Amino acid sequence: MNPDPEQRPEHTQSMPIDGQVLKHLVEASLTWLRANQQTVNSLNVFPVPDGDTGTNMVLTMQSAYNEIDDLAYRGVGQMAAAVSQGALMGARGNSGVILSQIWRGFARALHNQEVLDGYNLVKAFAEARDTAYKGVVRPVEGTILTVAKDVATAAAEVFEQTQDPYEILSRIVPAADASVQRTPELLPVLKQAGVVDSGGKGLFYILEGMARFIAGEPLDAPVAAVQPLSAMVLENTKEAIEPGQDYEVVVDFVPSKELDLPRFYGELEKMGTSIQVGEGDGMYRMHIHVPTEKRYEPVDYVMGLGTITKIAMENLIAQMDAMRHKSGRDRLELASIEPGQIAVVAVSPGPGISRVFASLGAAAIVEGGQTMNPSTQDILSAFENLPTDKVIILPNNKNIILAAQQAKEVTVKKVQLIPSRSIPQGLAAMMHLNPDGNLEAVAAKMTKAIDDVITIEITTATRSVEIDGVAVEEGQVIALVDGALAISSRSVEETCMKALEKIGAGQHELITLFYGKDLSSVEANRIADVIRATYATQEIEIQDGGQPHYQFIISVE
Amino acid sequence: MGEETTTLGTIHISPKAVATIAYHATLESYGVVGLAPKNLAEGLAATITREPAHGVSVQYSGEEINIDVHVIVEYGTRITSVVDSIANSVRYHVEKALGMPVHTVNVHIQGLRVSNPD
Repeated sequence: MNPDPEQRPEHTQSMPIDGQVLKHLVEASLTWLRANQQTVNSLNVFPVPDGDTGTNMVLTMQSAYNEIDDLAYRGVGQMAAAVSQGALMGARGNSGVILSQIWRGFARALHNQEVLDGYNLVKAFAEARDTAYKGVVRPVEGTILTVAKDVATAAAEVFEQTQDPYEILSRIVPAADASVQRTPELLPVLKQAGVVDSGGKGLFYILEGMARFIAGEPLDAPVAAVQPLSAMVLENTKEAIEPGQDYEVVVDFVPSKELDLPRFYGELEKMGTSIQVGEGDGMYRMHIHVPTEKRYEPVDYVMGLGTITKIAMENLIAQMDAMRHKSGRDRLELASIEPGQIAVVAVSPGPGISRVFASLGAAAIVEGGQTMNPSTQDILSAFENLPTDKVIILPNNKNIILAAQQAKEVTVKKVQLIPSRSIPQGLAAMMHLNPDGNLEAVAAKMTKAIDDVITIEITTATRSVEIDGVAVEEGQVIALVDGALAISSRSVEETCMKALEKIGAGQHELITLFYGKDLSSVEANRIADVIRATYATQEIEIQDGGQPHYQFIISVE
Repeated sequence: MGEETTTLGTIHISPKAVATIAYHATLESYGVVGLAPKNLAEGLAATITREPAHGVSVQYSGEEINIDVHVIVEYGTRITSVVDSIANSVRYHVEKALGMPVHTVNVHIQGLRVSNPD
């Protein structure tokens, strides 16, 4: 890093690079790569289960270093061959294999050499590049290969000015950095993800580690981590807020001159915690948690460094309260199943209905309904992991019965399918669930129970049609009684009343209304009151069903 | 082979199409210097017909996609790592393109190419 040879520390100054010095250089590159391992890992763009690039490269370098750790070779050629051997043996992942090829070429150029002089070094980088490129038919540019190529070119250029190998090693680092920064221009997938190539970045750290060793700079910890913008995780997932973290402040800015990162971090640390800094295309994003009284300080500080493009400030305590409230309301408490018991899987179109099924003892809920039929796989995965082999499926919609039937055929578990065609039928069946009973007997009882209930579904017609002698115009409110079109009229209230009258609700005992997400609870309760006024002797219940499309699903029994 | 029914009709994906995806994914994997036909007869056939994906065979049993690739690897690479990344890359690219799970990817090393005997 330091181009002035006079300032090089004593231990390397003018010492020829023999096998032992090479060992120190390899150790330095391993240490520095490991210190920056997470930064490299964060650059992964492919979700290929190839492991993390940073980790793979560290393991490869570690294997190389283990190979030479106790070797006393003086010849640099012998030592490099051992490095190459170790890297080959420990190569992990794609980037590790390429790295081992780079070392292999590097070592081959140094065959039988005692010391690494400038000429040999340039030759070694060229051979490293050639060997790396030979390992693949279709080299992809914008990767570690490109960086290896640019490094070889840079080494040859520096050699025109100086033949000091230390000097060359130090001066190729900026070229490696520039090459890494160019990778998104060569590989579109990197540009889309807003990152540079991870393998190339790893190679950069290996070279920078050597240069830092030469310059006598510390290697154990990164100066200050700057991550790519896309890798920053700013969602607050914490369960509790520690004191002094009342506000989250995120500032986007473009510094007017190059950012002095250690100093920047130092200043931020005086203000708060959870500091993250991201960079992309010259724009920086700073994230910090600060106590209430200091919430404007980061903004004032960054203002002095450049142009602020965006500020976001959030009160974490208020946010946390809202989250707690929400999660408490949405939590679904499913029945826990012991091995040997009967587990019920119910298909439900809305959160409210799911809660009712859960409270009646359903062990698993599959989301789905009229226009969102779950797949066989969805149903299967809902019960495959339950700790019992006795399963009852309630499809609760005629369009889902087939998928449930297929799930039954595919699985090795004992499955009984109750042909429930509506939510009220499913709930009526649930009333007869006995988890410890005989599977066939319980299923038979539950199947019988679906006839005990009448289902009325209230929805809006999506097209004009005439079915079963009922004429419907698009936009009208219709009622389906047990799946058949029965009533059409202008309002939800009128349709409900007519449908209840048609089925003779006065002869029944209980009317349960599940109102959908398109209806407000005020409106739903108002309609429930109208029904109560007419059916004074019946018990009327109202529940927030949360289902889409259907203003009401009504169960009459 | 792969079939998917949509509201507009049925989509058929031939094993050859899958093989082509696997072929390109393999060729871009580091350490692979070529694909090789499984045997002489297949090699001749591939040469005559200019098969776009020689060295790759795809079986679809109605439930599972199984892919075999026959490769030549650069001498001096760690073969287990190269094989891992071929298998991962083939699986990833085929699954991404098809949206169907790949059951197995078998990588057969048919030979090594020695560019530089160390």
